[in-house]
Amino acid sequence: MTDLNDLMMSGGVRRLSRRDLLRRAGVGASALSASALLAACGVSGETEQNQPAGEDKLTTNKKTGELIFANWPAYIDKAGGGSPTLEQFEKSSGIDVSYKEVINDNNSFYATIREPLSNEEPVQWDIIVVTDWLLAKMASFGYLEELDHSLLPNFDRHAGDIYKDPTYDPGNKHSVAWQSGITGIAWNPELTGREITSIEDLFDPAFAGKVGMFTEMRDTMHLVMLGMGIKPQDCTTEDARAAQQKLLKQQEDGIVRKYYGNDYVGPLAQGDLALCISWSGDVVGRTLGENSKIRFTVPEEGGLLFTDAMGIPQNAANPIDAHAMMDFVYQPKVAAQMAAWINYITPVPEARPILKKSSDSYTRQIAASPLVFTTPEMESQLYSYKNLSLDEEQEWNELFNTVLEG
Amino acid sequence: MSSAERRGAAPYLLSLPGVSWLILFFAVPLYFMLSFTFYEGTIETGFGYSAEWVQTYTDALSGYRTQIIRSFIYGIIVTSATLLMAYPMTYWIATKGGQRKNLFLLLLLLPFFTPFLIRTISWTFVLADEGIFLGTLKDTGLLSQDFRLLATPTAVIFGLIYNFLPFMALPLYVSLEKLDPALREAAQDLYSDRRETFMRVTLPLSLPGVFAGSLLTFIPVVGDFINAEYLGSPQTSMIGNVVQRLLLVNGDYPTGGALSFLLIVGILIGIFLYARLLGTEELTG
Repeated sequence: MTDLNDLMMSGGVRRLSRRDLLRRAGVGASALSASALLAACGVSGETEQNQPAGEDKLTTNKKTGELIFANWPAYIDKAGGGSPTLEQFEKSSGIDVSYKEVINDNNSFYATIREPLSNEEPVQWDIIVVTDWLLAKMASFGYLEELDHSLLPNFDRHAGDIYKDPTYDPGNKHSVAWQSGITGIAWNPELTGREITSIEDLFDPAFAGKVGMFTEMRDTMHLVMLGMGIKPQDCTTEDARAAQQKLLKQQEDGIVRKYYGNDYVGPLAQGDLALCISWSGDVVGRTLGENSKIRFTVPEEGGLLFTDAMGIPQNAANPIDAHAMMDFVYQPKVAAQMAAWINYITPVPEARPILKKSSDSYTRQIAASPLVFTTPEMESQLYSYKNLSLDEEQEWNELFNTVLEG
Repeated sequence: MSSAERRGAAPYLLSLPGVSWLILFFAVPLYFMLSFTFYEGTIETGFGYSAEWVQTYTDALSGYRTQIIRSFIYGIIVTSATLLMAYPMTYWIATKGGQRKNLFLLLLLLPFFTPFLIRTISWTFVLADEGIFLGTLKDTGLLSQDFRLLATPTAVIFGLIYNFLPFMALPLYVSLEKLDPALREAAQDLYSDRRETFMRVTLPLSLPGVFAGSLLTFIPVVGDFINAEYLGSPQTSMIGNVVQRLLLVNGDYPTGGALSFLLIVGILIGIFLYARLLGTEELTG
């Protein structure tokens, strides 16, 4: 928490939370004049800071029988209008799950909850699934509950080694993985007319107006830098600036059609896009996989390996029920059932032998796919996001925002 | 209280619901938005008063000049196009509609029984590169294979025209409908030809409708972000898209607030100039 305090004091400006600001602005509201406002700001009062995460207790230590879960689209197995995994969980635990597919990209979802979280107010969700970097950032601000690992025996027993004690969340203090995935390139052979192998293909004028990039700053910037031969862990702000220039040029030349969140799958499937940055599971899996013409490639320069993890937002109403769900999906049978449908990378290696034994040939293919159960060769091509400091993140965001805003 | 006093208070009491609604949901949020522009910071780290708040405004103005200019250009194009389309249509309904006037008005409004967002998103299917419309034209060879509408300014402007046409049409209809036909007959009795009747009688008398329709179209169009979001590309992003991103994604309240206020000022200046041009100042008080 010291970092946060330093930050709050930086520049000699005593920081106000948004609630303070509203309250103080309200003092001036009666006079509605600039001078009254400024005077109101000078009034000293106790600054509200987030509680250090360690001293915080869960809202309740009892099961409530309810769970509200925020996730990305097509990120859980489905059958006949429902989800077998959710139905089994509801049946075995007696917990009523409200499962919402509300996350299209990390930043815009985070924007919907950051304000209440910064005011220590509860948000509606008991579990959220966000990408590793955002999870780390939220944990650093004290926005996530600390997990009680005595409630997560299946996680301890069945999670793969790389999912235990990950760099983004040491000791799994605030999270357990939901799924991992690969950021690469999806392409439609009918429209590209040739095989796509390189990140440079995203900048080919031959595909003008048919190329999609991501609104996720890390995915787009890192992939562009990989194309320039710079590994994520080595890249500097100078490199980020060069990547920005390259993206701006791509836009000026009319090569990029648009920047997408998870909503790129529609335009890709209906032929608006010939190729685009993509997340592996969407293409390997049933979102686009049934539309067999779409392919997924880990570019020769490399791809990105990310983990989306489950966390419990601060002051969530049903934390014990959330733990139950987190643990439930770590049973190998459940993990296998999910992996067969989602086709991202499951954090439970024991799911693979179960899938291999399946009577369904599609499921056996999934078990053999290096995009779902990564092989050492595949892993040697994959890189994690760089761990950005707050300053770096802000600089990179500013660079990337000028790209998004056109 | 005497009855005279009661009568004196009546207008104020009658306007109370509306005025308090405006104060609570318009003036107060606007005031908060304004106060943010004097601060710097983020939601997580908190906000602090910024001595450089003037710079927030100048930076917003210079940093987003392209989008501001683009929004006003789109606004002018869309307002002119809807005016040119709506005027003959509503003139015809008002003068020749007869018994079926209400039916025609209903037809005009029918698409608006569907929400704005759904109408716009459904256009992304209709206009898809390989969709029912462009795909067919491409297959028949009428269009080249790389022709597209989505993610171009044309699609955004078409979407805006479609979505805002009734905002122009309804005020125009009202002002044309209440025109006494005897005035046109009188003009003809005085040897005006049709063109002169229109230019000297109908058009001047319908100017209040033109003005109201233009305002109702221009103001929301300049601030719109849905059409540019779904039908456009980064190269068509309007000021609304920037404000949406700043406020709802990046949490940059100071810059977002400053841009919103610059937009309000810009629109007010635009309306003032337009009122001068049409000679309808009395309408704006």
